[in-house]
Amino acid sequence: MFGYIKVDRANLLGKEYDAYKGIYCALCKQLGKDYSIFAGFILSYDCTFYAMLALDLAEKPPCYNDGRCRFNPFKKCLYAQSETKALSLAAALSVISAYYKLLDNIHDSPWYKRIAYRLIQPFFAGWRRKAAEKYPEIDRSVKKMLDNQLSAERDPGCLLDMAAQPTADMLSEMCALLPDNIPLREPLKIERTKRILSSVGYYMGRWIYLVDAADDYNKDRKSGGFNPFLLSSAPSDNLKEYIEGSLNHALSEALLSYGLLDRGRYDSIIMNVLRVSCVNIQNKIISEFDIDTNNTEN
Amino acid sequence: MKNPYEVLGVSENATDEEIKTAYRNLAKKYHPDNYNDSPLADLAEEKMKEINEAYDSICDMRRNGSSSRSSTGSYGTNSSYTRTSYPDVRKYITEGRLDDALELLNGVPEGSRSAEWYFLMGMVFSRKGWSEQAYNYFQRAYQMEPNNPEFSAAFNNMNARRAYTNPGYNTDTTGMGCSTCDICTGLMCADCLCSCCGGRSC
Repeated sequence: MFGYIKVDRANLLGKEYDAYKGIYCALCKQLGKDYSIFAGFILSYDCTFYAMLALDLAEKPPCYNDGRCRFNPFKKCLYAQSETKALSLAAALSVISAYYKLLDNIHDSPWYKRIAYRLIQPFFAGWRRKAAEKYPEIDRSVKKMLDNQLSAERDPGCLLDMAAQPTADMLSEMCALLPDNIPLREPLKIERTKRILSSVGYYMGRWIYLVDAADDYNKDRKSGGFNPFLLSSAPSDNLKEYIEGSLNHALSEALLSYGLLDRGRYDSIIMNVLRVSCVNIQNKIISEFDIDTNNTEN
Repeated sequence: MKNPYEVLGVSENATDEEIKTAYRNLAKKYHPDNYNDSPLADLAEEKMKEINEAYDSICDMRRNGSSSRSSTGSYGTNSSYTRTSYPDVRKYITEGRLDDALELLNGVPEGSRSAEWYFLMGMVFSRKGWSEQAYNYFQRAYQMEPNNPEFSAAFNNMNARRAYTNPGYNTDTTGMGCSTCDICTGLMCADCLCSCCGGRSC
C-alpha cells in the first residue's frame, strides 16, 4: 500500500473529518492492540480507507469515544469503536502488506538501506505471522500479488493492463472479503455487495498502481526500472494526456461501481476521496511530472 | 417494496418539479449506456428498473389513481441487437463467459475482422477490467464505422471516463474551481456583510 487514498480536508465538513480521523486513530489503536505499539508506525491512509469502507457497510454504526493519542498524551483524539471485524481486518491488511513491501524493498535497495531493513524485518515477520494465522486469505492475496507482479514485469509482451492487474486483483479480493466478515446494513445483500465492492477494489487498486507508477516515472526512466508508462505500448507523444486518461479512467470506473451501492453513513467522505482528493493527488503528480520532464529534456 | 420517495432520495413533500429533477439525475447516473461494458451491467439495470418503478408509482399516487404511465420508454435498456455477425460472442459477454467470448473472437482470421469484431474485443476487455486495451479496440471500431451508434456510444463513453466526466456524478464541477453557485453565495454573503455596515454590495 502506498498512502495515496486520502481525504481532502478542505472539502470536508468538520464532523466528517472528525469521523474519518476517529477511524484513523482507531486503526492505530487496533494495530497496537493486535500487534505492537510500534506497529502504529505502519498505519497508512489506504488501510484507513479500507476500514472506513468496512464500517460503512456494517449494520451497527461505530461508537465514537474520547481518548488520548497513543504517541502524544497531550493530544485528544476520537476513537471509532466497532463490534465488527472491520478494524481487525484493516489492521491485518496493514501489517501483511507492510511485511511484503519490506521484502520488496530489501530486494530493490542499496546495501546500506538493506541493512536497516534487515534489522526491522524480524518484527514485521512476527506481526505478519500473527495476522496470517487470523486471516490466511489476506496473506495469500498479498503474496500472490507480489508473485504475479514479478512475473508480469518479466514478461516481454507486458502491457499496462497486465502490469496493473496484480494490485487491482489484490484490492478487489480484499474488498470482496468484507461482506462475508461484516454483518451488512439494510438493504445490502451479500452477493450483490460483494460484486460491487470487488469492482470498486479492482479499480482503486488499478488507480493506486498507476498513480504510483506516474509518481516514479522520472526515477524509473533514469534508473532503467520497470514502469508501465515506459512500455513500448505507451505513446511517445502526449504522454501526459495518456497518463491522465488512464488514471481518470480507473477513478471513473471505481466511482461508477461505488454508485451502485446504496448510500451508507460515510458516503460523503468516500465521495470526497473519489471525486476530490484522488483527482487533486493525481493532478499534483502530473503537474510535477511535467516540470521534471521538461527539465530532463532541456 | 421500498418507499418510492426514498428510492429517488426526495422528501414526501417535494414538488413535482423536484421529483422530476431527482428522477432525471438518477436516470442519467444509472443509464444502461454508462454500464454497457461493465461486469456490473445487470446490477445497473436493476437499479434503473427500481428508479423507473418508484417514479411511476409516485406519479400514479399524485394523479390520484389515474392510469399508469410507463417511463421505461425514454430510459429503458436497449440491449436488443438486431444485426450481428457474432451472436454467440454477444451471448457469452452477457453471461459473463469472457474467456469463451475471447476464444471465439481470436478464432476469427485477421483478414475478416470487422468493426463489430473490434467493438466486441473492446467489450470483453472492458468487462475484464483491462481498460487500456478496451479503449484501443473501441477506438478502432469507431474509426472503422463512425456512424454506427453502438460503436460511437462506447467510444464516447470511454472518452468521458478518461476525462472523469461521468453523467449524473457531477465529477466535472469538483476540484479547485469556483462554480456560478459559489459566486452567487459569495455575493449574497458579501451583501449581508455590507448591509450590516449600512451599505450594499450591488
